[in-house]
Amino acid sequence: MTNHLLEERAKTAAPSDTRGAGTTARRRRSWLRRDETLGAWVLLAPYTVLFLVAAAIPIGYAFVISLQRAPSLVNPTSGFGGLESFATVVGDYRFWSTFINIFTLMAIWLPIMILGIVALALLIHASPGRFGGAMRFVYYIPGALGGIANFVLWVYLIDPVNSPIAFLWQGLGASTYKEVITPGNMPFILTAMLFFQGIGTWIVVVNGGLNGISDEVLEAARIDGANAWQLAWHVKLPLIRPWVGYAALMNLAYGFQLFLEPYLLRQISSGSVVAEWAPTQLGYAFAFTNRNFPAAAALSIILLLITLGIGLIIVTRSGLFGDETSTRTTRAQRKERRTA
Amino acid sequence: MKTTRFLTAGVALAATALLMAGCASGGTTTTGGAQTDSGGKITVWVDPPRVPAAEAFKEAYPDIEIDIVQIDGTVGGQTVRQAFANFDSAGKGWPDAIFFPSNDDIAWATNSTSNYAADLGELMPDTIEGYDPAVISFCDIDGAIRCLRNDAAPDVFWYNKAFFDEKGYTVPTTWEEYGELSVKIAQENPGKISGFLGDAYAVNRYLQAAGCPTNDRVSESEAHIDLSDPNCVRATELLDQMQAGGALSTQGIFDGDAAEAGANLVMSPGAVWWGNYLFRDTWKIPAGQMTAVAPLKWDGESEPSTGNEGGGLWGVSSHITGKQLENTLTFAKFVATDPRWQVDLSTGLPGYGPVQEDWLAKIADDAYFADVATTQEAFKSALGVVQPYSYMLYDTGSVWTQTVPSTLIGGGSATDAIKAFGDELVNQAKSVGYTVVAE
Repeated sequence: MTNHLLEERAKTAAPSDTRGAGTTARRRRSWLRRDETLGAWVLLAPYTVLFLVAAAIPIGYAFVISLQRAPSLVNPTSGFGGLESFATVVGDYRFWSTFINIFTLMAIWLPIMILGIVALALLIHASPGRFGGAMRFVYYIPGALGGIANFVLWVYLIDPVNSPIAFLWQGLGASTYKEVITPGNMPFILTAMLFFQGIGTWIVVVNGGLNGISDEVLEAARIDGANAWQLAWHVKLPLIRPWVGYAALMNLAYGFQLFLEPYLLRQISSGSVVAEWAPTQLGYAFAFTNRNFPAAAALSIILLLITLGIGLIIVTRSGLFGDETSTRTTRAQRKERRTA
Repeated sequence: MKTTRFLTAGVALAATALLMAGCASGGTTTTGGAQTDSGGKITVWVDPPRVPAAEAFKEAYPDIEIDIVQIDGTVGGQTVRQAFANFDSAGKGWPDAIFFPSNDDIAWATNSTSNYAADLGELMPDTIEGYDPAVISFCDIDGAIRCLRNDAAPDVFWYNKAFFDEKGYTVPTTWEEYGELSVKIAQENPGKISGFLGDAYAVNRYLQAAGCPTNDRVSESEAHIDLSDPNCVRATELLDQMQAGGALSTQGIFDGDAAEAGANLVMSPGAVWWGNYLFRDTWKIPAGQMTAVAPLKWDGESEPSTGNEGGGLWGVSSHITGKQLENTLTFAKFVATDPRWQVDLSTGLPGYGPVQEDWLAKIADDAYFADVATTQEAFKSALGVVQPYSYMLYDTGSVWTQTVPSTLIGGGSATDAIKAFGDELVNQAKSVGYTVVAE
């Protein structure tokens, strides 16, 4: 590759007629393009294979299944059913309640989560040296307790007899798991679980954004007389908006796919929480209680559309994946035009 | 340009999916296919309390190669049901014999779509003959015997004899007396309780015992559910009185943190297996306190009336034949009838009649109950007075646990809680495809 480039450079450096130079340049671009294309394909191949096997084919299969008529336990006939399964899902008596549950959780959890991420990330960034480094590590610890480990920790914490915060539960009048894990408390318990599970990782992400702010900008603000609070509020926060937006929307997408936490809380409370608390649990019930696989597939497609919609919003609105150079050029050009 | 490309791709994807869906349509589902024969090796699925049964079989029949798989034994759990949905779709993978974690499982296991559980009336007629018709009736589905009862689990009336003797209370004989006494005891002895409402079997303990049609299977596609039936109303009124009087716990008997409340239980209807499994082994209530008497009557009725809590079911695969089937039937016969499991190790009264006396004799040797002779008599007398109850395609117990305790904890009355239970029951029944009739 290097030899090839050197050769090309030598050719272009040598004097020649303009026609010849143009042809060589075109040839070089074509070579580069071919190499780049090949490289891109090599880099993309493992992801493409995984995407096909783990996403595209299952999605296509789910779509095909969702168009079947359900061979239910009571009526075993099957066949092409068109959009019948989608109607079954939307018309199910649990459909809206599962979404109400999720939206209630989002309304409580997301603002706390985002405020927590931003506040802690700004605090860490404003604390340079060893102290800041230590705090970064401390804040990340809950994030390291992923999935089941975090859940087990919370099972212990919400135990009204053995928990270190048992006095809190008893003060609220709860002395059994069933009295703590009530339908009304579910959004708050889940908020606590999800907050500690995600906060560490997202602080690291947003802190990455903060580290990307150039020292010149911060110094200029300081020279202009900004104190730590003004620096955080007027300078840092606007600059990390894409990262905060990204965190908000990714958490929103995660919330829609919640399954494990409500499923296990039901086990802990000996079934006192409904089996279909979240939409994904309803999909599970369609598949294995109702044996209605087309309805389960239809619900998956509905959830996919929602999360895909959220994903598109992330890509188009947050500006995180935008081409920074071209954006800057456009802005500069606009400014130029305005000046002219 | 991009939009056009996206649209084209979307339309192409939809068209392909429609085409594939069309190609896949037109048939009915198949259940299983040809029966297989491993040549002798068998795989059995058992919940944790039944592992000793399978181990006892392994010891008794060393020549039969066996794989023992321990499964999730949670009553109302979904994992086994999920595995079977996948096996039914794949047409392979089923265990040769199983102890169903929930008795409701027999509903899907015998359904025409799944058709897992073999007709044992044809395969094991001699064993079936040994069962009291009242005990095996739970396995009689549309005239075929599709399972074997592990143990008989009728509810008797349990009470703490030591406490009653000390306080001078008289043991109730009717449900109405039970309701009144429970409130009196709660007032005079704060903290003492007379029943649990938070577990999946509470529906059997109270509503089935009252003859309430919660689980009345009319046919494979029709269910009779009517919680406004006078039999349901009398049970609801009883629970309302007891709940308002502070005599009931919202916990369930299986709750991990129920032992403390269990130690304060002074009386309750409850299954035969409560004695050894719950009082002795789980809640560690000292010997010489608990004892059982015959089930209660409703005022104005001559016969007692009681529910049934569990009394697990063994099933055999309909997908096997030859030596594999022969060995599986040997296993099924052993776990259902052999004294090496049913008398020596099992904590419940055997479902199989001929070994019941030996098991009853064993509880005399244990000397755990306060009044052994009365307890033995109560166990026997309860067998014939269990009210009818069918297992449905949804889990009635789960419907109870997710409606009743939460309503009561939220401040609702027992009437509110049972109303919520009834509404959810009808919703569940309709959602799995039953036509619900109220008459």
